[in-house]
Amino acid sequence: MRPLTPRRILWTCAGLFGVLFVMVVISLRMGAYPISVRDIVDTLYKAAMGRREEVPVEFWQVVFGLRLPRIALGILVGASLSTAGAGFQALLRNPLADPYVLGVSSGAALGAIISLIVAPHVVGAIQIAAFIGAASTITGVYFLGRRGGQLDSPTLLLAGIVAASFLSAIIMFLLTMVTGSELRSIAFWLMGDLTAPPPTTNVLGWLGFLFFVFIVAAGAMYTTSSDLNLILTGEQEARHLGVNVNRVKFVVYIAASVLTGLAVSVSGAIGYVGLLVPHVMRMFFGTDYRLLIPTAAIGGAIAIVLADTLARTVVAPTELPVGAMTALAGAPVFIYLMRRRMR
Amino acid sequence: MLGGRTFTRARRQIVCMIVALACCRAVSAAGAPSQAASDKRATRNVTDETGRRVAIPFSVRHVVTLAPNLTETIYALGLEDKLAGDTSFCDTPPAAKLKPHVGSPQTPSLEAIVALHPDLVLATTSINRAETVDALARLGIAVYTSDPHTVRGMLDSVAGMADLMGASEQGAALVAQLQARLDAVHARIAELPLVHVLFVVWEDPLITIGQNTFIADALRWAGAESAIVAQQNWPQVSIEEVVRLQPEYIVLTSDHSESDAASKPSELENLRTRPAWKALKAVEMGHVVVASDEIDRPSPGLIGAIEQLARELHPEAFALNADGRNLVGAARVQLEMVASACTKKECVSCAL
Repeated sequence: MRPLTPRRILWTCAGLFGVLFVMVVISLRMGAYPISVRDIVDTLYKAAMGRREEVPVEFWQVVFGLRLPRIALGILVGASLSTAGAGFQALLRNPLADPYVLGVSSGAALGAIISLIVAPHVVGAIQIAAFIGAASTITGVYFLGRRGGQLDSPTLLLAGIVAASFLSAIIMFLLTMVTGSELRSIAFWLMGDLTAPPPTTNVLGWLGFLFFVFIVAAGAMYTTSSDLNLILTGEQEARHLGVNVNRVKFVVYIAASVLTGLAVSVSGAIGYVGLLVPHVMRMFFGTDYRLLIPTAAIGGAIAIVLADTLARTVVAPTELPVGAMTALAGAPVFIYLMRRRMR
Repeated sequence: MLGGRTFTRARRQIVCMIVALACCRAVSAAGAPSQAASDKRATRNVTDETGRRVAIPFSVRHVVTLAPNLTETIYALGLEDKLAGDTSFCDTPPAAKLKPHVGSPQTPSLEAIVALHPDLVLATTSINRAETVDALARLGIAVYTSDPHTVRGMLDSVAGMADLMGASEQGAALVAQLQARLDAVHARIAELPLVHVLFVVWEDPLITIGQNTFIADALRWAGAESAIVAQQNWPQVSIEEVVRLQPEYIVLTSDHSESDAASKPSELENLRTRPAWKALKAVEMGHVVVASDEIDRPSPGLIGAIEQLARELHPEAFALNADGRNLVGAARVQLEMVASACTKKECVSCAL
């Protein structure tokens, strides 16, 4: 394996960004409304030049009102989930760790549903509640998963699975208390859904805020990447090498919880991405966290944009929940890659 | 060499800045609601049944419906020429299947809706999601959401939607005609006690209706009332609770209205083979009614379903008016049938 230089990190990320860009263009082109690449380019160009009047209203609605915000949200959610998954896998030193398996998604979902029942029309309440749910679940699972002061992988996974099913049971119970239309919204939310419009009319500000939170949390996690590499070889060894293990764990914890809460609060519980994408990236680019965190983030974005494009088009004009698509497409891809590596 | 590189870098920076600027302008422009579409034609402000303010053009030419009952309403009003598209669930009348579809009511493609250039989209709280309505409103598309909880509410809703589409007279005429049919049913059964029924929305798991649904109201118009009392709209109940309450009739819904006659005996036999169900007195006595699937939809067809249900639940009331002398005979025949089907002594009907 070649040594990891900043140059190599940059080139790898640039390559992945290229794939993401192609994916975005394909996603912009595909959909129930027929619109050619030429028209898309034309619309984007005229929008950039401020000549909006010349763009047909339908093109404007489809490109700027529907497809672009959804793609941006998909990028954000995919990057967040995948980065959080990579973080949890290092933190818990378990390849099966991801927001979904550890019950963090269920915790965030519970928080969001409580806020939907208690304060259905408060802007931002869902996002905050989902974050509180995610953070308290991961804290609870962490303490349940300790044996003799050490994190014990099997215990931890069991704790996560138990927490997930316990929280799901509470969600089921709460669902019996809501009627008709809220129930439908929640059901879609639980499946993972990118169609819900943002809580404000200022789409740009909303997306900007979410991206800002993502950059801060993912950036915080990235600062610990060299230490994470050492911790992965063993906590004792890392301590001897001068790593402040507790501080690193704390930072990764908070960052991964923020990212999960962020993703789940805007899109519901989308499974598989947090587990799958970091592993796929490890297979391609190795296990060094300095490279893994950025590639996982971009890879997650690619995965969700791809999954959502498929969700919008396979049974068009009806749409599938994106969560169904990630599980449907993700599991076989993962098994194939795993088998290939074992040979 | 050095100069060349600096130049390239500077040029690269400039290109980056231009691209960034272009993106910013494009996206900030996207944030503003699309005025161009709404300014083209005169609109009026209406409050829909969920309390949202909607600006709707005075002359509505292209309508997209997001639920089967709304499609049916459009056809009942004779406004099908204005119907630009409906959902893949819209099968009544059969002509509705030929209209362009925008997907299912819960997950329609917003793009497909935009592609049909609607100046009005009709939605309903009974099947559509609030998210769909919000997203369409963000695009500057007028969405009117109906929220019927009663049969009267459905009629008001029909009149309201007819008015929006510039067809107030047709709406008033249709509502008057439907109201007259309702009144005719009411006149026959007003004096009779309400029949306790179990309305089966779904058999396994057993799901029935709550008090606040239009189906509960439709049952009252048909001279019946749900044996189960629940605040939820679609509560799941245990069969034990049904055994305890012993409803007088079981009301099932048919999948297709044309197979009513054929499906009734088979549904009854099906229930008679099932452990808990066959112990129900209503099943033993053959008190199983298969309602038309129109009962599930708050649309003009609901009135026909109410008439059919009233006839089946109160046959004596309808026998009386058709031919006064037949009443006693019909009642006797029915009693004999009941007696032969029922052997339990505590059965109320047999005691009579």
